[in-house]
Amino acid sequence: MDTELFNIQPTAPEPIYRQIMEQLRRLIASGQLAAGEALPSVRDVAGRHAINPMTVSRAYSMLENEGLLERQRGKGMVVAATRRKPQSQERLLGHLEPRLQDLARHARELDLPKKLLLDRLRELLDEDPT
Amino acid sequence: MNATAQMIESDNTTVELSPLSCNGIYKCYDGVNVLSGVSLNIPQGAVLGLIGRNGAGKSSLIRILLGLLMPDRGESFVMGEASLKMTDASKTRLGYVPQQPDALAWMRVKDMLEFIGSFYPKWDSVYAGDALLRWGIPGEKTLAKLSPGERQRVALIRALASNPSLLVLDEPAAALDPVARRDLLREIAMRAGDSGTTVLFSTHIVSDLERVASHVAFLHKGRMLLNASMDDLKETHARLALPSSSAQQLQGLLPGEVSRRRHHDGSVSIVLAREINSAWPDAAQWPGARLDVLGLEDLFVEVTE
Repeated sequence: MDTELFNIQPTAPEPIYRQIMEQLRRLIASGQLAAGEALPSVRDVAGRHAINPMTVSRAYSMLENEGLLERQRGKGMVVAATRRKPQSQERLLGHLEPRLQDLARHARELDLPKKLLLDRLRELLDEDPT
Repeated sequence: MNATAQMIESDNTTVELSPLSCNGIYKCYDGVNVLSGVSLNIPQGAVLGLIGRNGAGKSSLIRILLGLLMPDRGESFVMGEASLKMTDASKTRLGYVPQQPDALAWMRVKDMLEFIGSFYPKWDSVYAGDALLRWGIPGEKTLAKLSPGERQRVALIRALASNPSLLVLDEPAAALDPVARRDLLREIAMRAGDSGTTVLFSTHIVSDLERVASHVAFLHKGRMLLNASMDDLKETHARLALPSSSAQQLQGLLPGEVSRRRHHDGSVSIVLAREINSAWPDAAQWPGARLDVLGLEDLFVEVTE
């Protein structure tokens, strides 16, 4: 991806960092920038447009805070994976997978009705730990 | 922030001293006030654009900040030292490009750069040589034989090759063509980004400033009208246009009013400032009222006209 990506209007009333943020949001929403794709470096964008590097890094950081971009070692700033939240939940569930499989096996060994087990599990999950 | 203190400690964070600041500066020439109580504080690493119309007092302020001119009242500091008593060590960390560079005009360009370079511990002679080539300046000519634009560029090379931690440019773009200007702006921006150089540059060309400045100060008739970060300035200022019917309801100043102009037909336009993310005054809802966000040039014209 190259630095021509951005169309920067220094004289517009909208601050430059906002122009960059808006353009990146659109490019990502429209799929022109795919997840994992690297952004041009702050230095390259600033040099190409003769703008202050701090302005570019402000835009990148704010989008990073919003979860739209992420910093990747060796690649710099990249477009964040779009299904980030569900994926991370799946990953968390993965930690419980061995215990869940054990539970299912024990329940089958005891020939417990599914509903009885699931209701109890639901009760436990709804309990306030405090 | 008290510029005389070496460091200011608060909550375990150390706030570094402003590289360039002044308090309550007054200067008068032949009974005319050129500067009337100007205070300025440039944060470390900032690129501050000082805008003002011709004769606004920009050059006088810069010369006072650097200790080249004595103010009638007020005090100024460079890297924590009183400007008028700057040490040699501080001077080697300061790059200054005057509006009309005329020092050592009898020397050949290359000789002058070599001579000057010997005074600076961080002199980059490779940069100086490359920059002469890039800008097509004949190193064998004497400075006096160069065009004004070429002389200004040599002065820029001289300032940049010393790798200053504070760079002060008085109307650096005035004698440069658009391509050379863009080059210079890029250089300023990258210096600030890569080496954390603090930059002050004065200009009356507002669009130059909008590219690279992180902070903006408007100097008008010897007073500092506005002084803020560029992004804040754009996000917190707008122009309210009221038709004459609504303008008649105005009583006194509106909250956050910066300036007001009354037009022949009885309508008014008012520049308003607000806190970030807060609402505009109720007058923005009056019948026929229109609120426009402003570019820097429009804002400058509105507040200085």
